[in-house]
Amino acid sequence: MYVDNVIEGFYNAVNGSRVLLFVNYDIDAICAARILQHLFRCDTIAYTLVPVSGIQDLRQAYEENCEEVKYVVLVNCGGTIDIVELLEPEEHVIFYLLDSHRPTDLCNVFSSSQVRIIGNSDPEEGIPEFDDVFREDSDEEEDNSGEDSDPEESRAAKRMRMSEEAILKRRENRLWAEKRDRIVFNYTQFSYYGKASAVQMFELALSLSKDTTDLLWCAIIGVTEQYLLGKVEKQQYVLDSGTLQGYVSKLSHNLDEDPTEAANSTPVTVPRISFTKDLQLALYRHWTVEASLRHSMYSACKLKLWTLKGERRLHELLVDMGLPLVQSRQKFSAMDMVLRQEFHSMIEKLAEKYELDQLVFASFILQYGFRNKYCASDVVYSMLALLESTGREKSSKDCFLEAMDALSRPKKNLLEDGIEKAKVMLTSIFKMVQAALDMQMVISGGPFLYFIIQEGALNARQFSHPHTLILLAQFVLQAYVMVRKKKATNLPLIASAPLDADEGTCLVVGIPPVIEDSPKNFFGKAFEQAAEKTNARAQLDYFDSSVMKLKMEDRSKFFDALAALLS
Amino acid sequence: MFCEKSLNLIKELDRSTEAMPAFDDDGVRQVFEEMRGLYDQNVAAANDSTADPDGTAIAGIAIRHAALERNKRCLMAYVYNRIRKVRNMRWQFGSILPPEIKANLCEPEIQWFNSYSKTLALYMKSIGDQGLNLAQDVKPPKSLYVEVRSLTDYGKFEMDNGEVVLLKKHSTHLMSRAQCEPLIIQGILEQITH
Amino acid sequence: MSLCQSYVPNYFSIADILATQERVPCKFEMQVKHLGFLDPGSDKRDIEIGTSIELPLWMASVLNSQRPSIADVGLPKVFKEAYRDIMKADPCVVDLHKLAKYFYEFGMNLCMLKHRESAEIANVLVESFKQRFRQILDWAQHSTTEVAESKKLDNTEKIIYQMGREVGSRLHMWLTEGGSLITAADMVIQHKKMKLTQKDLLH
Repeated sequence: MYVDNVIEGFYNAVNGSRVLLFVNYDIDAICAARILQHLFRCDTIAYTLVPVSGIQDLRQAYEENCEEVKYVVLVNCGGTIDIVELLEPEEHVIFYLLDSHRPTDLCNVFSSSQVRIIGNSDPEEGIPEFDDVFREDSDEEEDNSGEDSDPEESRAAKRMRMSEEAILKRRENRLWAEKRDRIVFNYTQFSYYGKASAVQMFELALSLSKDTTDLLWCAIIGVTEQYLLGKVEKQQYVLDSGTLQGYVSKLSHNLDEDPTEAANSTPVTVPRISFTKDLQLALYRHWTVEASLRHSMYSACKLKLWTLKGERRLHELLVDMGLPLVQSRQKFSAMDMVLRQEFHSMIEKLAEKYELDQLVFASFILQYGFRNKYCASDVVYSMLALLESTGREKSSKDCFLEAMDALSRPKKNLLEDGIEKAKVMLTSIFKMVQAALDMQMVISGGPFLYFIIQEGALNARQFSHPHTLILLAQFVLQAYVMVRKKKATNLPLIASAPLDADEGTCLVVGIPPVIEDSPKNFFGKAFEQAAEKTNARAQLDYFDSSVMKLKMEDRSKFFDALAALLS
Repeated sequence: MFCEKSLNLIKELDRSTEAMPAFDDDGVRQVFEEMRGLYDQNVAAANDSTADPDGTAIAGIAIRHAALERNKRCLMAYVYNRIRKVRNMRWQFGSILPPEIKANLCEPEIQWFNSYSKTLALYMKSIGDQGLNLAQDVKPPKSLYVEVRSLTDYGKFEMDNGEVVLLKKHSTHLMSRAQCEPLIIQGILEQITH
Repeated sequence: MSLCQSYVPNYFSIADILATQERVPCKFEMQVKHLGFLDPGSDKRDIEIGTSIELPLWMASVLNSQRPSIADVGLPKVFKEAYRDIMKADPCVVDLHKLAKYFYEFGMNLCMLKHRESAEIANVLVESFKQRFRQILDWAQHSTTEVAESKKLDNTEKIIYQMGREVGSRLHMWLTEGGSLITAADMVIQHKKMKLTQKDLLH
């Protein structure tokens, strides 16, 4: 059931009792959770927040925490699975789903009592009609009731009548079931992402008149994450950032009421968000120009920076910009003032010549104080690196809490720490891409390409996390397409990295081919079917259905089954 | 040299600024023995004063007496400083001591702790109409509810209004300040700022 | 609830007990029977007239205060002319922790003995404290980590330094976090750290 009026249907309903929050391990979920925490804090709605990484985790956490809880909010988790069936809750428990994963499970959509989905149903999702998908099992009852009624009719006549009706009914049921299966298959075939949860929560805050710059920044991070990880296409991002820009101007209007007095009115420490054209160079403000150009997916692929020729083009570009090599190897903040100011405009001018036309995109910058200036994508990379920086002493839940704390302004050192880790992450991604292309590690498996990171490879540990592996897979595919030109544009890529040495499992992600603009991913269903067919010991545990865990020994036969399935 | 053992007791206390060392029964007993020995020598020398016409025995008596006084001072300081620490513990750990720390206290110290807790509780009950919990709100509170994060797997925690919360490591909660203050002071929860 | 660390008149003060343990040279003017073991160098049964023994201050003050005086108390090395001159020249470079851990307390106790050079000693104490205090103040207020030179401080100065640092960090916490943040009790934190280190040692 969809809850249109979010305030009435959700916020006022939970006011006064304890709420249980389950949050998935992704940046959008963390941002949405922060906004929700802020709102709950303002209205003293007691809550308990538990991070969950997968379906099993969700089930276990629910079992532990469910005592005396009436309202459960699921942020970016559980939308694509039948919640009521999975968690087996009591009758009075109500679930509120805030999930940007699509397609939403039909049982959740049509549940009349226990499951409420926050937001509106989007006609583009193509949710089938209720009658097409669900039908009360009344045919069985009718058979039985038919037998009980009218005992006076003679046996034979009844049987005749019964069998005719029965045959017709069965045929009808069969046709209906076939149609239903087809509709459900079409509906669940592709997995993709809808509106960012963080934006929905910000709109809730807006309607409660509790929006602040910090909350808006959380929403911006959520949207930027969707764009950077390839979860939504560029058009969608432009639309979303347009709406957000409206909110930005609304909030900053209060600050700069009189432009002539701007210098005296607001202190510099007040955080401000500005909407500007920015470059798609990862972390360039906190890194050297050369490193940033090399490790960002877009520039690296267009200039083919893993080859020698590419390096020469890079140097040509720098020369054209008037940036001496020495300067480009220094930290951006340590470069000459003049060069820094002109950097933006010079790159824009040269973008066409070097085929970097999409380098400029619209983004948001947060500034508070004199030193702290962060672009939205900086924060996304930083939080991703923090989220996936598990080590021996740091469990994944520690990382989750760290990533969440990085959004708060007093904990700025966490953000800086994350930026350093992000640099390491991007560098190792680039190195892996270079190795993959040099050593021909991208193999064609028939209807798809695949790329396996062996266990002893350099930095293999870094890639045993979903987000880093997805970034790597996207980079590899883009780079491969640049090398092979036309041949590979319509092939999807599957990447696999070792996950746990003790258990012998590996992580497998699948990304759609380059030629299709939309990020609709069909690997969720494909993985499921292939696993069933080969009886591979696979765990489709993640909420993002294009990521799964698999036992290493079953990997090859799993890939064979996939190839058979997709051809 | 006299009073070495009692000095060792004091040095032991000086070394351990935070933790409480175990009560040194042996050391205390040895100091008592030394004191007894000194006292006996002094008594003997005093009674023997007839054999000492020029008063040199007085020097010996004076020195031994000084040693006696010094031993007494060291012992008293030892016991006194330990009790001050035990009193501090009541305010830091609450009325139940962790077993590792309890093992370091001697029996009279534990009795002292219990009776101090009782006296404190009695006093707190006598303030105002319903009594006042002095251990609560040591710092002025700014809000009724606080955001806390659980540092350990504490388990189920039942609050005054009957609600049960599972305090598992890494979970975040918004709870009423009065309920979670004792847990924060005990180090089970951690208050987070935003 | 902090313990009064002053030398006067706290009977129970650990610092005072340890300060009065410092040794001073005593020249015996009377023969003392049966206490020859006090002098580690000799193996006679009695202490002869004229022997000079290093005795702790608590014993020396008793010896000095008897009429007729049993021994004449001299000055310890630290308060002799040579070191007094060093302290007068530049007190800030002297490593008091190595030289005399309880410099000030000991000095104050010495002055109470009404030695003929007490006035000089008092002067040295005050002057060197004044100069070294400036340094301690600077370190406590302006450095967030423990300064390496703080190991050269004597006991009294160390307490002052730590109090200064603690006050500075409390002010900082009040300015940043508003002061109403409930924190775990200090003893609890220490106890946990000890438990963790014990666990690490076992593994």
